[in-house]
Amino acid sequence: MRIPAGLFELLVRRIAAGVIIVFAATTFIFFLANGIGDPAVATLGPNANSERLAEFRHEHGLDRPLFEQYVDYITAAAQGDLGRSFRDEQSVTQLILWRLPRTVLLTGMALFFQLAFGLSLGILAALRRNTWFDTGFMGLAFLGISVPVFVSGPVVLHVFGFLMGWFPIGGYGVTPLDHFTHALLPALTMAVIGASTFARIMRSEMVDVLGADYVRTARAKGLNPSRVVLGHAARNALLPIVTLIGLRIPLLVAGAIITESIFNWPGMGRLVIEAIRALDVPLIMGVVVITAVAVQFGNILADVGVAMLDPRIRLGKS
Amino acid sequence: MPSTRRSSESIAGVAGLVVLALAATVTALFVPDAPVGPRFMGAGHETPQRGGTMVVWHETDIRGTDPQVRFDTVSGQSIKLLFECLLDYETDPIRLVPRLAREMPEVSEDGRTFRFRLREDLHFADSEVFEGGRGRELVAEDIRWSLEHMLHPDTGSPGVTFFELIDGVEAFREGEASHISGIDVVDRYTVDITLTRPDQTFLFSMAMPFAAPVPHEAYEHYGEEIGRNPVGTGAYLLERWEPGIFLDFVRNPNYFLAHEGQPYPDRIHFELNLDRRTATMRFRNGEVDHLHRTTPADYHELRSQPEWEPYSEESVKTIIWGVGMNTELPPFDNRHVRRAVAFAINRDRWRRARANRLALTGQPIPANLPSYDPDLPGQHRYDIDAAREEMRLAGFADGVPDPVTFWTGEGDTGRFYGELVQADLREIGIDIEIRQAAFPVFIQQTTTRRTTPMYLAGWSMDYPDASSFLDILFHTRSIRDENSQNKAFYSNPEVDRLLDEARVERDRQRRIRLYREASAIIVADAPWAFVWSDLHMEMWQPYVRNFRPHPVWDNFYRDVWLDLPRERVARAGGLPSSIPAFAPLGRLLR
Repeated sequence: MRIPAGLFELLVRRIAAGVIIVFAATTFIFFLANGIGDPAVATLGPNANSERLAEFRHEHGLDRPLFEQYVDYITAAAQGDLGRSFRDEQSVTQLILWRLPRTVLLTGMALFFQLAFGLSLGILAALRRNTWFDTGFMGLAFLGISVPVFVSGPVVLHVFGFLMGWFPIGGYGVTPLDHFTHALLPALTMAVIGASTFARIMRSEMVDVLGADYVRTARAKGLNPSRVVLGHAARNALLPIVTLIGLRIPLLVAGAIITESIFNWPGMGRLVIEAIRALDVPLIMGVVVITAVAVQFGNILADVGVAMLDPRIRLGKS
Repeated sequence: MPSTRRSSESIAGVAGLVVLALAATVTALFVPDAPVGPRFMGAGHETPQRGGTMVVWHETDIRGTDPQVRFDTVSGQSIKLLFECLLDYETDPIRLVPRLAREMPEVSEDGRTFRFRLREDLHFADSEVFEGGRGRELVAEDIRWSLEHMLHPDTGSPGVTFFELIDGVEAFREGEASHISGIDVVDRYTVDITLTRPDQTFLFSMAMPFAAPVPHEAYEHYGEEIGRNPVGTGAYLLERWEPGIFLDFVRNPNYFLAHEGQPYPDRIHFELNLDRRTATMRFRNGEVDHLHRTTPADYHELRSQPEWEPYSEESVKTIIWGVGMNTELPPFDNRHVRRAVAFAINRDRWRRARANRLALTGQPIPANLPSYDPDLPGQHRYDIDAAREEMRLAGFADGVPDPVTFWTGEGDTGRFYGELVQADLREIGIDIEIRQAAFPVFIQQTTTRRTTPMYLAGWSMDYPDASSFLDILFHTRSIRDENSQNKAFYSNPEVDRLLDEARVERDRQRRIRLYREASAIIVADAPWAFVWSDLHMEMWQPYVRNFRPHPVWDNFYRDVWLDLPRERVARAGGLPSSIPAFAPLGRLLR
């Protein structure tokens, strides 16, 4: 694969923009999170008396002007120190490091299933265009897109977990093999929607490409049909898929809040929900910063990937 | 494309769909019913058996195991396994009993000094913090060190307020004294604690985990990491903690009751971060041994199964709920309006609307505490005529002209209570506007002076005594301009006098009488309309023995034993999900 001209310039430009966006998001969320309510009350609960609350505010610098707190936070964050969680009194970095691999396992498996099922079904449907196979599976895909996880999740958990006993009922398990078996059901449930999306996009791209002159030429030359389909057609049909994958990278990190909640998966999604409920400002901020970075990273990766796959896409200023 | 190929593809497609439909139908047909009653029964032993693992669950992660700073209920459940106190709470009726102390403390003539004698067979758990790794003996000096460390400002313990009465705490916290003068180590196993004034509620504080003896070596060794490295005197040791996933506890060989074979199970396993729905499904499949919270639907389904009855208990929690009124703001500065509200709340309708999960009450002290007065005349009961009469006496015969804002928590439950209040008070001409707020905002609103006229009010105990309700909620001393714990801003000198008298009263019966008198005045003044205490249903597996819901400690597993091996019940439907995936294969092979 060639390195397109102007790649370096693109990277510099995108990274600079990314830094600005992360900074803006951090600022916005900082003032928002601090404006919601009093973290001291949220952390210490209803039984805390006023002396204890004042002590807590002082201890965490919450009694200082907000702007001063903000400057301190940004300064520390820029040096990689995300502070300590109010609720757990653990370093935020540590809390995120515990959760991140679990989320990546779940979302990674989900992404794998999405691509495996989505792309192969899309290609097959395109090859058997307008047959019962095509309409049947594309209809199913449409159904898959339409059923959100908060509907399908509890149903599959109840039927396949509780009643049938094929899968563990939520949770994460103890050993690495446990983690894998516990991830299967949520990953498959999550993958249904993604696979349906990938299948539909892949099918329409493949239909376009299969009708193109160069594919017909390749076929006419007597190339092995599978090579024509996979080597020539599919590669070009993958372009929009790559963009789509890039856009899904933040999801790998931020976690799937609803899926993690339904399946009791102790990942980033549940962490952020708990943090918001407890008004644990340092933790909310930490997750936001990490997610914002992941979004930028995913977008850059998608741009670079597309540029490498398609030489026609021009880099640099137009 | 040639038509033959096309038709063969169509056939393949149809076939695929048919197979899919068939698979769905077969799955649907063969999905077993949910199990009715327990899946497993015990082996039938009559005496406590050693061994086994008790599996329990929690909705969140625990925050830490340092008894000096942790006060949330989930952390508390692990702390109760890892630490013991000099005193403990016993149930039926709720009372104090000695634990690490040899007997209940002797009280001096003036009621200010308590003499605690330690058992002489106490050792801390084995730990790397001790020389040679062996847990050293627990002596009276450790009691002094532990209390001083907890009360030191640098520790930031939320427990300070319960021990401020000890003589010399103020000087110690101000840095004017290096020790607390009121704590006196008499000999190796005896310690005297002297208060600034007589106060009987102090003994309840000594059963709170804040007062658990801890070794100074551990705090010196672990520093900030003490919360993850407990060294105590409890029945169990923390073996492993995977944050957000699980905790494993194993039996502590140094436990002071170890020679009696206690604790009985080899280990206790906490599954963390499970929601109630998941936990209930796991419980019904026999994967979890104790179910302490259920969704309303599960609650009714399980309660309707007589097979569960011997292994379940509905108990009133030591918590009080009602409609709080700000006695400084109109129209509730008028006593008659408050009394009208207390009469207007249709409590039975509330109970039915909340699926019978409310234990109705009409007084500030929960029914499981001894000071609860079963004979208190029912001024807090539904009586619409009495309510209208009170409104007339208040000068609002035609209702209150302006709408009143009722503050409540977020979510469906919060709104639900708002609507119940709204419907009831419309009958007496009070127009309610519901305001919902997230928990921190809600607390801030209701605890700030002259801010919130009416709100959903609740309070759960710090320790199981009337003083933990009346003093905090209704004593003039608890009024603050901000973060006021007396959220009704209610002040009555007579109530203050009775409460202060009760605090120092050593005669148990007289104390109870004083609290009942104070209760009766509060009820008549109606700073809150008292409505209910929570009713919880707890269930446990038939093979879990010697477990009873504890009125103070939620999910208290220290004394249980497991009647193993458990046996599968034939009548219960469904499949075991103990082999997570691929259970159907197992069924084919059977």
